[in-house]
Amino acid sequence: MPELRKDPIIGRWVIIATDRAKRPNDFKVESADMAEVTPCPFCAGNEDMTPPEIRSIRKDSTEPNKPGWDVRVVPNEVPVLRIEGDLNKRPHGIYDMMNGIGANEVIIETPDHVEHMSSLTSEQIAKVLTAYKERIVDLEGDKRFKYVLIFKNHKPAAGASKIRHCRSQLIALPACPKSVKGELEGAKRYFEYKDRCVFCDIVSQELEDKKRLILDIDGFVAIAPFAARFPFETWILPKKHSADFTSINEYDIKELGKVLKEVLLRMNKLLSNPPYNYIIHTAPYRRSKQGYWGTIDSDYHWHIEIIPRLTRVAGFEWGTGFYINPTPPEEAAKCLREV
Amino acid sequence: MGELRLDPMTARWVIISTEKDLGPSGYDIESPIIEGGTCPFCVGSEKMTPPEVDADRPIDSAPDTPGWKTRTVPNKFPALRNEPVIERTGVGMFDMMSGVGEHEVIVEDTDHDKQLADLDIDQIKKVVNVYKRRCITLGNDDRFKYVLIFKNYGLAAGASLEHSHTQLISLPIVPKRVMEELECAHKYFDYKERCLFCDIIKQERNYRHREICENDDFIAFCPFASRSPFEISIIPRAHQAYFSEIADKQIESFSEILKEILIRMKIALNNPPYNFIVHTTPLNGNDNVQEYYHWHVEIIPKLSRIAGFEWGSGFYINSTSPETGSRYLREVKI
Repeated sequence: MPELRKDPIIGRWVIIATDRAKRPNDFKVESADMAEVTPCPFCAGNEDMTPPEIRSIRKDSTEPNKPGWDVRVVPNEVPVLRIEGDLNKRPHGIYDMMNGIGANEVIIETPDHVEHMSSLTSEQIAKVLTAYKERIVDLEGDKRFKYVLIFKNHKPAAGASKIRHCRSQLIALPACPKSVKGELEGAKRYFEYKDRCVFCDIVSQELEDKKRLILDIDGFVAIAPFAARFPFETWILPKKHSADFTSINEYDIKELGKVLKEVLLRMNKLLSNPPYNYIIHTAPYRRSKQGYWGTIDSDYHWHIEIIPRLTRVAGFEWGTGFYINPTPPEEAAKCLREV
Repeated sequence: MGELRLDPMTARWVIISTEKDLGPSGYDIESPIIEGGTCPFCVGSEKMTPPEVDADRPIDSAPDTPGWKTRTVPNKFPALRNEPVIERTGVGMFDMMSGVGEHEVIVEDTDHDKQLADLDIDQIKKVVNVYKRRCITLGNDDRFKYVLIFKNYGLAAGASLEHSHTQLISLPIVPKRVMEELECAHKYFDYKERCLFCDIIKQERNYRHREICENDDFIAFCPFASRSPFEISIIPRAHQAYFSEIADKQIESFSEILKEILIRMKIALNNPPYNFIVHTTPLNGNDNVQEYYHWHVEIIPKLSRIAGFEWGSGFYINSTSPETGSRYLREVKI
C-alpha cells in the first residue's frame, strides 16, 4: 500500500510508493529518447491491452473496450495511488501519514497513433476537454477525494513514458495539493483586500498592457505570466470569471480547444517540438468546509499552465523554491505572438 | 539588471534575468554532456574569471595567480547583481524589486578531474571553511536577508562546468522554501516549545531505519517524507541555528560525514548527478528564530524527472521509500 506522508517542515504531502519501490539500478540516469513501444496499447484495436475503460466518447452502437471511440479514459496500469481502501490517517512518532488512496487515470486523446496533441483537430481537442470535465464531475461523488489534477507530460524529458501516443492523465487526491492551496490562499487574501478576483485583474491588465499577451481569442487569453518561473511558460485563462473548470459550457469548450491547439502549435514551431507539461488548476471540491472556502466562487479562477521543459531545475531552485528564468515573459510572449 | 518579481497568487518571487534575454535559439534542448574548452577554474586560467573575492593561498602569492588551494570568484553570469540600493516598484497590479545580490562561485580544488567526493578531508575542510567565511562576510551586509550555498554536480543537476565548484547567492528576501520551513518550525515550536529538527533527530536516532551514518556532531538520514528517491539530510546533532556558527571541531566532523555520504551515493547510485544545498537561518531576523530553526544540508541525487503532476500540485511522487533508500546507502561497501 503506498503511503502519503507529510513533510513536517513545510507541510507538504508526499506519496511514497512502497510497493513498487525502485532499486538503484532501476533508474536510468540521463537517457536520451527511447525506442518506441510496439504494439501501442493506446491505439484503436488494442483496447484489451489496457484495463477496462472508465469512460469513453464513442460512436453510437459501439461497445465499450472495442474500437469506435474518439476519446477513451482508462485506469493507469501502474497507478501512483490506489482506489481501494480507506485513508487511515495515523501518526508515526512525530510524523503524520495516511494511506495512498486516490485515482490515477489515463485520458487517451485519439484512437490514431499521433504523438502531438497539436496535430489533433480543435474539435478532437474539445472532446478531450469534455472528457476532463466529465471525469472531474464524476469523481466528486467519491467523498475521499478533495482534488483532481489534470496534467499532461509530453515526451520523456517531461516525465512521459516511451509510448508515443498522445494522452493526458488525471490524479484524484485525498488532500488539496500544496501549490493549489498556495494559490487559493493568495487569491483569498487578494479578494479580502480588494474585493476582486486576482486572476480577473491579471486578465484585464494583460489585455490592456499587451506586452505579455500571446493570444486573445473570444472568451480566452493566453499570456506569459508576469512572474513566469520558466522560459516560455504560458497560461490560458477564461476572460469571464469562473472558479471551476467543470462549469465550462459546450461553446467555450470548443473555443478552448482552438486556443489550446494554437498555443501548442506556436510552442512547437518556436521551440522546435520541446518536451512540455501542462496542468489545469481548478477549484477543489467543496462539499464540506463551506465556511472556510466560502469565498472560493468569487476569489478563485481556473486556468491552464503550460511549461515547455527547456531548463533544468538545479540546486538553487530546489533549495529556495525561487526560480531563475532566463527569458523575460515579455520577450517570450513576443516570440510566441510573432511566430 | 535582473529583476525580482512577485507572483501575486502564491507570493513566490522569481528572478527575471532581463540581461541574458535569451531567445528560443538560446536553449539547448537535451544536450547530454558538459562542453569542453579551456576550463576557467583550472590553475593558470585565473584571468578568465572575474577577480577573486576569497582564496586559500600563501601570503606571498598574488591574487588571481596560481598558488591557491581554493578560490572564490564572482559568477561571470550572475543571476543577481550587486547594486548599492534595492529598488522596489509596482507595475500596475504587480510588484517587483531590483535583482540585488551576490552570486559567487567557490572553486573547490585545483584538480580539474576530482569531484568533491574525491577530495581528501583536509581539502574538504578548506572548502567548508570558505562556505563559513563567505556566509559571515555576506551576512554583514544588511541589504541581504539570506545566503544560500548550493552545489550542482553534473549536467542533469544544472552544472554547466565540469571542474568541481559550489555556488553561493545572497538574496534580498527570504526565499519561499525557507519561509515555509520557518513557518512550520515556528508553529511546531509555539505548540511544543521544542525545536522541530531536534525532535526529528531524536526520532531518527531512535528508529534507525532511515539513518545512514552519524558521528559525534552530525547525523545523515533519508527524511521521512523525502521528495526524491535517495534524498539525504545531514543535520548537526546539537541545536545550531546558523551554518556560520559551525565550530572548528564541527568543520572536521562535517567534512567527514559529507565525504562519506558523497562516496556512498557515488557507489550506490553509480555516480549520479546531484544537488546539495545548505539551509540556514535567515539573516537579520528579529524574533526568536534561532530557537526554532536548525541549519541542515539537503542532498538530492537527480534520478527522476519532475513531471506535470509535481509542477501542478507541489505534490511529489517518490518511488523509493526512504527506508529502502537509506538501507542501500547504509549497506553499500565503501
